[in-house]
Amino acid sequence: MSNVISEIKKDFIYNLLLKGERMDGRSFDQYREISIERDVIRKAEGSALVKLGSSQVLVGVKMQPGEPFQDSPNRGVIITNAELVPLASPSFEPGPPNEVGIELARVVDRGVRESKAVDLEALCIEPGKQVWIVFIDVHILDDCGNILDAASLGAIAALLCTKVPASRFGLGEDFILPIRDIPIATTAIEFSDVLMFDPGVEEEAVANTKLTVITTANGDICGIQKSGTGMLKPEQVYRIIDIACEKAKEIREKFLEA
Amino acid sequence: MIAMDENDISFFKDGLRLDGRRADELRPVKIKVGVLARADGSCYIEMGGNKVIAAVYGPREVHPRHLQEVTRAIVRYRYNMASFSVEERKRPGPDRRSYELSKVSREALEPVILTSFFPRSVIDVFVEVLQADAGTRTAGINAAAVALADAGIPMKSMISSCAAGKVGDTIVLDPMKEEDNFGQADLPIAMTPNGDITLMQMDGNLSIDEFHQAVEMAMKGAKDIYELQRRALVEKYSQISAASGQEEVHLYE
Amino acid sequence: MDRKVVVPGDLLSEDAKRSGEGTYIKDGSVYSLLYGLANYRDKINVIPLAGKYMPAPGDNVIGVVKDITFSNWIVDINSPYDGLLHISEYPKRIESDEMSKYLRIGSSIMTRVKDVDPTMKVELTLNDRKLGPIKTGQVIEISHTRVPRLIGKGGSMISMLKKEVNCSIFVGQNGRIWINGCRDDTDLALKTIALIEKEAHTNGLTDRIVNFLKAEKEARS
Repeated sequence: MSNVISEIKKDFIYNLLLKGERMDGRSFDQYREISIERDVIRKAEGSALVKLGSSQVLVGVKMQPGEPFQDSPNRGVIITNAELVPLASPSFEPGPPNEVGIELARVVDRGVRESKAVDLEALCIEPGKQVWIVFIDVHILDDCGNILDAASLGAIAALLCTKVPASRFGLGEDFILPIRDIPIATTAIEFSDVLMFDPGVEEEAVANTKLTVITTANGDICGIQKSGTGMLKPEQVYRIIDIACEKAKEIREKFLEA
Repeated sequence: MIAMDENDISFFKDGLRLDGRRADELRPVKIKVGVLARADGSCYIEMGGNKVIAAVYGPREVHPRHLQEVTRAIVRYRYNMASFSVEERKRPGPDRRSYELSKVSREALEPVILTSFFPRSVIDVFVEVLQADAGTRTAGINAAAVALADAGIPMKSMISSCAAGKVGDTIVLDPMKEEDNFGQADLPIAMTPNGDITLMQMDGNLSIDEFHQAVEMAMKGAKDIYELQRRALVEKYSQISAASGQEEVHLYE
Repeated sequence: MDRKVVVPGDLLSEDAKRSGEGTYIKDGSVYSLLYGLANYRDKINVIPLAGKYMPAPGDNVIGVVKDITFSNWIVDINSPYDGLLHISEYPKRIESDEMSKYLRIGSSIMTRVKDVDPTMKVELTLNDRKLGPIKTGQVIEISHTRVPRLIGKGGSMISMLKKEVNCSIFVGQNGRIWINGCRDDTDLALKTIALIEKEAHTNGLTDRIVNFLKAEKEARS
């Protein structure tokens, strides 16, 4: 879909930024209002609906027994997928995930996997034969910018309320999925040397560089993704990381440590 | 999964169904209009355990261009189920069932849309099933009709959809999951409030008499749903007026 | 004046002569085509809340160039239909290979719809002194359904606004509005337009806007 942004709009956004302002009045490191509703899909083993400003992302966790990977016979398996369904944006087309959707899924997955949030050893049923497969399915409902952070938040929120459906498969009693960390992704865009966190749709459209930083509960970095065709200086990267850690801590404390 | 057949379950107890309903009772319905910011029109609906969201984009430019029609808008309908919407995780992407449902659903709505107003364009309807509990196609059509109205698409009338079924030799309205799985017949319909039928499908086994009964029951159910669709749309408008013209985005509860 | 919220298919009248905009006639009765507000006057018109901008000849619109062909600029006019600005409709005589020098992809223009054919092929023109490329100022977007209210009967609302806020304003029927002035004046214009958009469907709006402007200007002095 051709969505040409007028030059006059780009100039307008840029001029605001030079004054440290954004179109919706936020400061450069301010996140929009966040709401997380857990357990919204009862048929799923875990689920969460995240609203970040007007962006809406629904994440469902499904589990079933399956075969482990050959190189990790005692560990459960995590499979993350993201559907950027056409109802969420005029620029999403029907069909299998394109590179943007695949990248989103893999970055969300990275946060969950590298933080070791899910205790994969606890998901072993019979070593070498049967383990629990955890499907994390991200369903974008409304793309008003920064769906990556919303999806990542949704994934960990859904995992935190997931119950392993052992009884359905005759494998004992249901139990709560053990979660050991709370990875949070924070994304910033860079535009003419100005940084902005939690970009809205128009800000995303004018920027050509994005950096996502995923941090764990103790402030370590467990995932990074730079996307876009622009360039970043090391100082910009360090600055983003510092603020990202702060933001992640705020979000984690406010929403997920109850 | 425990194997069952229709003789194992008693579908009625003291004249009530497994979920406590009478034979001719609809499951609870909740409708919210205008729940998405990017879409031109949208609607979220719950019918029993079904959670379905519909969005409309259009009229808009057709891509690829060769699909466009010079004298009217084309209508596209895409029914899709989220992986987590069913008990056993569904692989993402359309399967043969979703192609069929998309086609008949589109044909349920197209008769009332004034496509001649919008040459060389497309009206896209997208339906996502977030949780499934038998009757997703009817829920989808109901949500889609409201979303079309919400998008300002001119229509001769609304379309409402409902299914009837046969379980334990009894005709019932709006079958739930177990009734659908182990029932003897399923008959979804869609119609205008005047009773013009735009969708009808049936599988199972019905005598001519039973068929008449089922159609009548489904049509009454659709009419009741029409009243709920209408109420949801009117309510949204009065909320807008109350807030002095500020459009409110309805949130799920 | 009677007004009612209606949905598509609602019966409005059994007198076919009263069929206005947003309605259709069947078997001698008038029905609504749209979800919106039915206005009961001599004719019954249904005003929708939503819907896309449909270009009509004579409409002023603000467009953004999205593509350039051999002899046309293809212009996004916030509608299901793009506008075509033919090279001959540029106010100066230019060559085909110079087109992007004058208007390139991303350029905004104040333009007018010259003609619309039955297949919705939309032709634009810049041949008028009041039209041309936008180089300064700001362009905002409101719902195109609110534009008639912003303009007012015979242009009363917009003329009053232009006078009171001391800004250049170009209102596009497609909902895009260009404003140029000093910062404070522009801010006031934007606030006022936002207020008009929010309350477009209410009564007594003109007076309220007049009072609002008075109050704002007093507060600033």
